[in-house]
Amino acid sequence: MVLMNPTESAAVVDAPRAEQPLPVKKVGKLSPRLAFIKPSFWLPVVVLLVALGFLWNFVAKNNPYLLPPLSDVWGALAHNPSYYVSNAWSTLQVALIGLAIGFVAAYLIAILVSELPLAKRAIMPLAVVLNVTPLVAIAPALVIAFGFGPQPKLIVTALICFFPILINVSTGLRSVPSQVLQVFTTLHASRLEMLFHVRMPTALPYLFTALRIVFPLSIIGAVVAELSAPGAAEGLGTTISIAFSNSQLAVVYAAIFCLAVLGSALLAIITAIERRALHWHESMLDNKS
Amino acid sequence: MTGDSAAGSTPNSISIQSAVKIYGSGADQHVALNGVDVTIERGQFVSIIGPSGCGKSTLLRMIAGLEEPDAGDVSVFGVTPERACVAKMIGLVPQTPALLPWLNVLKNVSMPAKINSAADRRRQRIDGHLQKAKPDMRDLLTKAGLGDAFNKLPAQLSGGMQQRTAIVRAFGVQPDVLLMDEPFSALDEFTREAIQGQLLDIWDEQNTTVVFVTHSVSEAVRLSDKVLVMSARPGRITAEVDITLPRPRSEAMLKTADFHHFEDIIRDHLQTSWQQNALPSVA
Ligand SMILES: Nc1ncnc2c1ncn2[C@@H]1O[C@H](COP(=O)(O)OP(=O)(O)OP(=O)(O)O)[C@@H](O)[C@H]1O
Ligand SMILES: [Mg+2]
Repeated sequence: MVLMNPTESAAVVDAPRAEQPLPVKKVGKLSPRLAFIKPSFWLPVVVLLVALGFLWNFVAKNNPYLLPPLSDVWGALAHNPSYYVSNAWSTLQVALIGLAIGFVAAYLIAILVSELPLAKRAIMPLAVVLNVTPLVAIAPALVIAFGFGPQPKLIVTALICFFPILINVSTGLRSVPSQVLQVFTTLHASRLEMLFHVRMPTALPYLFTALRIVFPLSIIGAVVAELSAPGAAEGLGTTISIAFSNSQLAVVYAAIFCLAVLGSALLAIITAIERRALHWHESMLDNKS
Repeated sequence: MTGDSAAGSTPNSISIQSAVKIYGSGADQHVALNGVDVTIERGQFVSIIGPSGCGKSTLLRMIAGLEEPDAGDVSVFGVTPERACVAKMIGLVPQTPALLPWLNVLKNVSMPAKINSAADRRRQRIDGHLQKAKPDMRDLLTKAGLGDAFNKLPAQLSGGMQQRTAIVRAFGVQPDVLLMDEPFSALDEFTREAIQGQLLDIWDEQNTTVVFVTHSVSEAVRLSDKVLVMSARPGRITAEVDITLPRPRSEAMLKTADFHHFEDIIRDHLQTSWQQNALPSVA
């Protein structure tokens, strides 16, 4: 059992090379994690933001009904921060619970559709119709049906999140390379084993693509539902519609600012989770080098 | 093809009798295999060689039960290919490594043991099945030169290392037969010869039957007890060459006159079958 082979004997010829000190990687370079410290990383966006801020204030000075001065927006936020925090919290709750409902429903149906061709033929056309329907328009109808409680908001959010997850996951579950399928078929893997050991992990990158779309969408869903239920007491959407009817432009923009922060935070969280969960995936290995 | 055991089958060989495989229908009909007869004894290393498109992969898939013959019989050690799969008697190494990219090397090769765990009991009830101890996957990986790659992900491996991982994975279930479809075609000559040596070592130790599809004449001669030469349109076996070279076959043997002698025989057969192919399309 001598396993000596030409590649190994070739290594002997190369041996002197090993005595030279190996070049140490990343000398004088920051790791990707800390790259954001460098000015070249953050300077462009900061310069652009400052420029936009000046432009905003210039417009606001001349047209106070078009845009409120930034100082007013900041004033609104600073005057009553807990008001925005509690409303943002309420919107976030609706968004995340709605998203969770949409996610569970879409994932289960994606499994059903990918396992049973019959279910696929029955469900997919309906799902497509659902997708092209502007779900935003359903919101008022749901408010009439369910009142001003959380249900219409959750339903709208769940519906908006449903389709991207269904499409991506059902595609992902079906995208196992044929040679992998052949290996597991000769092992006589059961459908369940196939699903858990092969199909679901294969679908993970597809799932995260959907989640990156759907996390910010869930905020949109929640706000739209709040806007269509003006009698509701909570949420940034409600804040906006109340401030709007009182012509408090600064408050409207303060709430919009909070929504932008929420959306960005959700996107950052899902990207961080994705980086962990898909560390094995080519797209992630690429980023590292 | 009635009942569990196919006609004319014995528990000590893989037998394919007048197998026919037709793809498509009507005007698009394509006869991939026509009247293929093969017998492979237990423990043999058999290579299949032939021009591209002559049905080598189809034949391999048929033994693996991934393809039903349109006529004829296939029996794997006395049972149908389907039953052989149910009992995990077949290990498949496809042309691409087909590893699971989210699992490291050790977990990839250990995966088959987790799947279809009822197979071990079924296997014992099949006549002639060799009862073997579960191999130590770390041991097998080390023998295949992957001793320091246990925790690496497939994307961090070279093509040769991925292919070796796929081979170890297939050996891991102690299959009665290992089916390999051009497993080394993407590798450079040196790596290829090195891995051939490792494959022969493991095959020798594990006492497995191997059916090996290749395009390389020297690979077929070095590895095999028997080489089946195929030709296309329709796919059929045109020659069987027994390679009587002694074992173990080191890389030094590749340069000997005996070795070249067998290479020449197979090249001649391939040339004939290639000409037979070419003629009808010229006319
Ligand atoms: N699923 C399929 N549907 C239709 N035709 C097929 C299918 N699989 C194979 N064929 C045809 O059958 C013939 C034999 O194919 P096969 O893949 O077995 O050839 P091969 O000898 O393995 O070729 P290569 O050396 O290029 O891999 C080819 O002409 C091919 O077009
Ligand atoms: Mg092939």
